[in-house]
Amino acid sequence: MPEGSSPRTLAEALRARGDQELTALLRARPDLLSPVPGDLTQLATRAGTRASVVRALERLDRFTLQAAEALAVAPDPAPYRTLLALLTGDDGDETVAAALPRAVETLRAQALVWGGDDRLRLVRTARELLTPSPTRPSPTGLGPGVAEATAGMSPGRVQEILAAAGLGTTHDPVSAVAALTALFTDRRRMGALLDSAPPEALTVLDRLVWGPPYGEVTASPTPPVRWLRDRGLLLPASARTVVLPREVALYLRAGRAHRVPEPLPPEITPAAAIGAGRPQLVDSAAAGQALAALSAVEELLRDWHEGGPPVMRSGGLSVRDLKRTAAALDADEPTAAFWVEVAYAAGLLASDGEVDERYAPTPVYDEWLTLPAAERWALLADAWLTATRTPGLVGGQDAKGRALSALGPDLDRPAAPEVRRRVLELLGSLPEGTAADPESVLGRLRWERPLRGAVTGGAGGEGSVDTRSRIAAWTLIEAEALGVTGRGALSGHGRALLSVPAAAPGAATAESGTGAYGTGAYGTGAHGTGAATAPGAGTGAAGPATAPGAGAGTAPAPASDAPEAAAPLTTVERAAAQIAAARTLAPLLPEPVDHVLLQADLTAVAPGPLRRPLAETLAVVADVESKGGATVYRFTPGSVRRALDAGRSASDLHAFLSAHSRTPVPQPLSYLIDDMARRHGHLRIGAASAYVRCDDEALLDEILADRRSQGLRLRRLAPTVLAAQTDPSSLLEGLRSMGYAPAAESAEGDVLIARAHARRTPPRTPPLPVADGPPLPDAVLLGAAVRAIRAGDMASTVERKPAAEQPVQPSAQNGGLPRSTSADTLATVQAAVMTGAAIWIGYVNAEGAASQRVIAPVRVEGGFVTAYDHTSDQVRTYPLHRITGVAELADDLA
Amino acid sequence: MTGPLIVQSDKTLLLEVDHEQAGACRRAIAPFAELERAPEHIHTYRITPLGLWNARAAGHDAEQVVDALVQYSRYPVPHALLVDVAETMARYGRLTLSKHPTHGLVLTSTDRPVLEEILRSKKVQPLVGARIDPDTVVVHPSERGQIKQTLLKLGWPAEDHAGYVDGEAHRIDLDENGWALRPYQQQAVEGFWHGGSGVVVLPCGAGKTLVGAGAMAQAKATTLILVTNTVSARQWKHELVKRTSLTEDEIGEYSGTKKEIRPVTIATYQVLTTRRKGIYPHLELFDSRDWGLIVYDEVHLLPAPVFKFTADLQARRRLGLTATLVREDGRESDVFSLIGPKRFDAPWKEIEAQGYIAPADCVEVRVNLTDAERLAYATAEAEEKYRFCATTATKRKVTEALVAKHRGEQTLVIGQYIDQLDELGEHLDAPVIKGETSNAQREKLFDAFREGEISVLVVSKVANFSIDLPEATVAIQVSGTFGSRQEEAQRLGRVLRPKADGHEARFYSVVARDTIDQDFAAHRQRFLAEQGYAYRIMDADELLK
Repeated sequence: MPEGSSPRTLAEALRARGDQELTALLRARPDLLSPVPGDLTQLATRAGTRASVVRALERLDRFTLQAAEALAVAPDPAPYRTLLALLTGDDGDETVAAALPRAVETLRAQALVWGGDDRLRLVRTARELLTPSPTRPSPTGLGPGVAEATAGMSPGRVQEILAAAGLGTTHDPVSAVAALTALFTDRRRMGALLDSAPPEALTVLDRLVWGPPYGEVTASPTPPVRWLRDRGLLLPASARTVVLPREVALYLRAGRAHRVPEPLPPEITPAAAIGAGRPQLVDSAAAGQALAALSAVEELLRDWHEGGPPVMRSGGLSVRDLKRTAAALDADEPTAAFWVEVAYAAGLLASDGEVDERYAPTPVYDEWLTLPAAERWALLADAWLTATRTPGLVGGQDAKGRALSALGPDLDRPAAPEVRRRVLELLGSLPEGTAADPESVLGRLRWERPLRGAVTGGAGGEGSVDTRSRIAAWTLIEAEALGVTGRGALSGHGRALLSVPAAAPGAATAESGTGAYGTGAYGTGAHGTGAATAPGAGTGAAGPATAPGAGAGTAPAPASDAPEAAAPLTTVERAAAQIAAARTLAPLLPEPVDHVLLQADLTAVAPGPLRRPLAETLAVVADVESKGGATVYRFTPGSVRRALDAGRSASDLHAFLSAHSRTPVPQPLSYLIDDMARRHGHLRIGAASAYVRCDDEALLDEILADRRSQGLRLRRLAPTVLAAQTDPSSLLEGLRSMGYAPAAESAEGDVLIARAHARRTPPRTPPLPVADGPPLPDAVLLGAAVRAIRAGDMASTVERKPAAEQPVQPSAQNGGLPRSTSADTLATVQAAVMTGAAIWIGYVNAEGAASQRVIAPVRVEGGFVTAYDHTSDQVRTYPLHRITGVAELADDLA
Repeated sequence: MTGPLIVQSDKTLLLEVDHEQAGACRRAIAPFAELERAPEHIHTYRITPLGLWNARAAGHDAEQVVDALVQYSRYPVPHALLVDVAETMARYGRLTLSKHPTHGLVLTSTDRPVLEEILRSKKVQPLVGARIDPDTVVVHPSERGQIKQTLLKLGWPAEDHAGYVDGEAHRIDLDENGWALRPYQQQAVEGFWHGGSGVVVLPCGAGKTLVGAGAMAQAKATTLILVTNTVSARQWKHELVKRTSLTEDEIGEYSGTKKEIRPVTIATYQVLTTRRKGIYPHLELFDSRDWGLIVYDEVHLLPAPVFKFTADLQARRRLGLTATLVREDGRESDVFSLIGPKRFDAPWKEIEAQGYIAPADCVEVRVNLTDAERLAYATAEAEEKYRFCATTATKRKVTEALVAKHRGEQTLVIGQYIDQLDELGEHLDAPVIKGETSNAQREKLFDAFREGEISVLVVSKVANFSIDLPEATVAIQVSGTFGSRQEEAQRLGRVLRPKADGHEARFYSVVARDTIDQDFAAHRQRFLAEQGYAYRIMDADELLK
């Protein structure tokens, strides 16, 4: 700020700031950076846009927001003193006074407030957003000021109020309002005025004082209301409502803008849980749950090993498949959905993308399986922590009432990673081994982001209070299920997962690191070295909260107003945190064992997690009966047979069991294996196309010995039976050609008689003889033919009378069509109907082909002539308009 | 992280027996976990709501249970399980049954919504009367057992503070002259007495009768003893006269033949469940005296009508005795809610190790059927299949070979099918005891067997229970009631009485190979295998050689 002069605009105020302050502003409000503003004026303008201010306000903690709200009801500009008074009230409040400078500093840093302490100014947009109005009540519960509330009132009415309040009349409304305001803000006179109020009037005021400040009144208000209204203590807001002016409310509230200023974040209170406060118990419980989480995910993917459930057309897992999965995992559906989503977020399962789309484990899963348990867990936990996928939503409905399915679309909530991390950080703020009361965690989160519904309006539909609280509640459950927390307290490995390793660079590099986000391939080559991998898959785009390019309203900004909140970690930091977490967890997890205890009740107990190859073999030989820290297997005839089917021999199994059993193999078990082996394969099944049987074994020997039989692919099944891979007829042929006399057999064993079958067609008619020329015509046909020929002849040869009016010769003479006007045509045809005479016409058919015809018209109506056509020897109908002309026939013919 | 216990996600607990802390761990978990299997190396316990509630009833709280699990567990205990334990235990005691000075038996709740919930249940409504105040409702005194059973099923077990009636006092003392209650018997009696009512599970031959006598000496009141059959009733009487201050005249027998009601009355289940014209005339026995104690012998065989009647006897002390609380009808939970929870339980092998029951060698002899028999078996009707394969001639030959092998030892041949037994009796030249054998004849034969006058006895299932034949050392089972696990255990129990010379008992089960006989045998053996009795399997051919 230049010496001695205060800035006149936000731009000027910004200009006066140092580079560091500007950097801080841009970090806090990254949306101002896209695109990078040209100069400070532009920056100031953008910082004042509604969308940007709304975003900034949403990210304020409750007290800072309260400070902003108080500024909004204070005069503009307001000195710091005034603001302080609004927040502390007349009585003063040490805590508020101590917290306020930080709040003002935050507002200033975020460019929501500018100006020196003597004249604090709220950015105009923020003021508009936060100032109470009838449509948008303020959380302060304050109404409009006297000046605003009396704006539409007649000057006479104002003067009446002045009089009733015991003030002298003034010359103009402006001074009247000023006088009234002065009265309301003067403690002493106000006191005197209210002392004279009837007690009921005070009750009415009491009801309105903390908001909402509007009250409904009837057309004839009760005397106390009337008393208040007459004195301006209630001012009309509309025909039926009155409002308590801000100044009056502030007087009644002893100057406080908020009923309860909340200068300090609510404490996270420890919860009373079983064995609380013992870090070892917490760690061991969490480790136990971590182990359970690993086995749940492994079991899930093993279940889907050979192809999981199909992908629904709308995406995701159907409700039925989720139920089935839950049953297979022995969990409830929300938990099953959680495991599915965690596996998905960690890139362990995905849709196979085939035409008939199904879910299946990814290749990454196979790599993941080879990792030590602690690292496997760290990968899952990190994937969960940074994913925007929100499994808790599964089973609910979206805004349009569509069901949200596991693995389906619309499960991403950008706020999720930030909320999860923050919840865990809050748990971590308690002493080690202490669980937090969930309500206090939620309360704290609400304090940090009060997220005003009224302000967000349409701008940030995603960030409703509800979603954040729900995510936080889910986080507590999910962290427990995953073993990040144990008995409600953050575990040692959970802490490691959250912490920024000491060597990690500060926040400045955090931003530069984000550029690389989302590009790192999953676990490239890192497995072998034991370094934890960076699961960027699927989370990169949404994970980093600082991604500068993210569209307004979606990417959560760092919680700069919450001092404890660390900036999100970079890829490198996350990898380091994973390694640290895995290292912390590893000693808590049971070492894999390489032996089992065999017992005479045909069970085998593996007293810990088994080494993978051993577990796989045992799972074939025996059925799993109970899982957990140990695994109980039971040998049954079925399970032993399964092993034998899988190609293991009895001696293999004996060797396997004695090699891996700490205890002698019980006799019943070896007996079971031998007994099953004895019976296994006792019955043999194969396919043959034909067989040869013969009571004379020597003959079959002979056939088999014959080289010519090789092509028949014969195999001896029994002394008297050969099986062949050729069909029966070829076999017959083959054996005959070798000089034998085989006979075919039916399915029942009868000899088939080799006799040619008489083959018949279905009923058929004999063919008709084809004549040399056309058939001889009969008399009728001939008669008709002659008539037709004659008629045609007549048509082509008749002579027509020349049309009287027409000087031209009838065109018939020169082979043309007769032509006449349409009136003549009609008249001639009608006459012909009357006389029954035949006439000669020219006619053009639909295709445009012209012809001449001799017709005897019968009827003329509707533009059609019905006539006997001598030319074609039939009755036909001719449209009049197609008749080119008519001519009478020569008399001699008629 | 080297505890002896492994907690499984299905709420079973695996206890490594050879671990140095195994004993301490067993004591810590026994109050709330049921011993499910006890083979050689790893015992399986199960945490059930019932077990947890029993623990609560015995004064243990969730913190203790969780501590025991966490302290002895080798691996981290899943938090969900601990939470579940705490929640389940918290359900106990929200409802209490107690005596109200004016209203009689009342059900009181400390948690009003729970009371509302259970009162809305259709099953509870007929059992309760007027609502005295928002937290209290009257219960018909006769429905005390019924409502406890129903509430248990609804998951809100009631704590029963209504207490027991003392019954008609009658002086009974143990006559510990030259003998004393064994430590585990003493523990069983104490466990029962502290719990008020309940079931004691002890292996066959471990002296359950003495536990009954001990309980009677504690109660010092008139006692009704319910047993399976008349022979067993006589044995009880004999034992009570020998071991207590009771005289012959003070003990009555209430059976098909005699109807004596005396301060101590021994009745058979059979007579109680005799039904005439749709009613059970003898159930009045329960009300015939003011009994201070009711003893149920072989409680796993308790017939359904007695169950029904027992529900009305909740104000009297009840003691159930059994070797195997395996009911083939799955009504174990009814036993728990009506007679009472398990108060004492000891693995068979443990008692064996202390020398109170004889060690036994269990052998399954697999018999190859002849081709003709196999064909006949294959074509038999489904319902005849078991009978056929269980009674084949080949089996008889093997049985004879076994008897011959153990010539000179006291041998029992046990079977299901009378014609098979008759045939065996003929071939072995041994007497047969079956259902139609008179009680006098039975006792005569049993006495002769005890005295060693006859060395082989062929018995049907009438001898499954409560027949005290201390000198039997070999039992050969040729057929059974299909896959009944408890029958197998009872039959093994016949030879488990400790022998004078301490030698091993032998239990043979002759089984036809590759038939359903073999499948049933596998099922039958399961209980004993889980008690640590490993069956050897041998081929009959080896025996016949």
